[in-house]
Amino acid sequence: MTAAKQWSSEAIEAMLAAQGIPLAPGRAEKIATALNAATASGSLPLEFESDPTGYALALERCKAK
Amino acid sequence: MSDPAALSLAAAAQALRARHLSSRELADACLARIARWQPRINAFISVEQQPADEGVPLAHKDMFYRKGRVSNCGSKIRRGWIAQETSTALSRLDAAGMPQIGTLNMAEFAYGPTGHNEHWGDCRNPWNQDYIAGGSSSGSGAAVAARLAFGALGSDTGGSVRIPAAACGVTGLKTTWGRVSRHGAMPLSHSLDSIGPLARSAEDCALILAAIAGSDPQDPLSSREPAGDYFLAKRKFRVALSSDWIERHADPEVAAAVLAAARSLGASLVEVEPPDFDTLSVHCITVMQAEASAQHARWMRERPGDYSSAVRSRLEAGFAVPAAAYLEALRLRAAWLERFCTTTLANADLYLLPAMKVRVPTLEQTGPRGGAGMPALLAEVTRLTRWVNYLGVPALVVPCGFDSLGLPIGLQFVGRPFAEAALLAAGHAFQCETDWHSRAPAERSI
Repeated sequence: MTAAKQWSSEAIEAMLAAQGIPLAPGRAEKIATALNAATASGSLPLEFESDPTGYALALERCKAK
Repeated sequence: MSDPAALSLAAAAQALRARHLSSRELADACLARIARWQPRINAFISVEQQPADEGVPLAHKDMFYRKGRVSNCGSKIRRGWIAQETSTALSRLDAAGMPQIGTLNMAEFAYGPTGHNEHWGDCRNPWNQDYIAGGSSSGSGAAVAARLAFGALGSDTGGSVRIPAAACGVTGLKTTWGRVSRHGAMPLSHSLDSIGPLARSAEDCALILAAIAGSDPQDPLSSREPAGDYFLAKRKFRVALSSDWIERHADPEVAAAVLAAARSLGASLVEVEPPDFDTLSVHCITVMQAEASAQHARWMRERPGDYSSAVRSRLEAGFAVPAAAYLEALRLRAAWLERFCTTTLANADLYLLPAMKVRVPTLEQTGPRGGAGMPALLAEVTRLTRWVNYLGVPALVVPCGFDSLGLPIGLQFVGRPFAEAALLAAGHAFQCETDWHSRAPAERSI
């Protein structure tokens, strides 16, 4: 498995520019730092078939009896 | 009667039914207090001198639309914007005899946890005006605490009902995702947004929830789960908590108050491993940032300078969230919810923890001049609330003490999906044995 690369401020600038979002000065580096720190560790394994709509069913299954 | 505004919502409604008080007297009592308190706490954005309907007056975060009336959403961009329709929640409160006496201050577009607002002025804590009221439903917490309205609606996407409830010493209910229609309420993050009441007690929250809960064809994401009557039946609860985690991670004064409250509940206490707050918070932030930025994309392209620096920064970050990360967070949501219900709540009805692990911070500490430690402090403010929004489950905050500086401390109960009745019953049982919820900030001479 390829290790994930860290986001750079240049990559963030390019990504937002491509979406037409002007960045305030000095913001790209802060966003890159936050994005690199925000990777969730220890998350749960997922079934291949799972999709976001499964959440509505889980609410029903888990509700107070 | 001394000051009708000091009554609870339940007591005021009873006094109205018994004709001991009139709607006009209740409204006038609130208006008199608003006139005295507003210069100090800046909780209101607009005030109705003559509420349209009879009943017990409430006030609401300035993001619930009413046809023909302005809803500024705490922003410059929507300053003066006139709503074309009335939100379902407001319509239901009108019908239930809870008219609106005004609109309340809030964080810009509900995207901030402190109550700072550079467009409309910061909302301040009624217990000490150097301190935050909490956000984003800042005016809702402050107005209820200062007895300027008998209750208020707020919205909660990462803690925006519970943080102001805790900071201001009132009772606040974050409802199950889908429990209350969001039709006609300003969206922030549709997967996480929920609407709930802030009031002076669990009993008052139950009255407001009974009026607003239930499915709504105008909100296709609202649940068809029957709304229930939120009757506050006394019953035995099994309450899970993680005492060791609270003692090791929360401020010592917060930990002492919360653990003392837990022991006084008269419930069976079950020690459990804490949920993975930080991983769940990361998922919450991923979803919130992506959805909020999509919601604001047009204005971020056309009018970025009209946002405050803090909100613009948060919105910029959302444009850097990879689509796959956003969708993975949503795919994982069901599995995390089931894990919470089958492990943390395996042998309990409710999970108990502080609403905030830190004491209420000052406006300066958490504002633009907060310095290098400010981002970390803001993360601490929301650390114990965001995970609940990711799971979508309900949570109730009740006041459980005061710190050595006289600022409130809030206790949080978290339940299974649609367990609002159990949460409110537990809060009511606690409030039958304690008087934290009935204390109000002193009205010093102005």
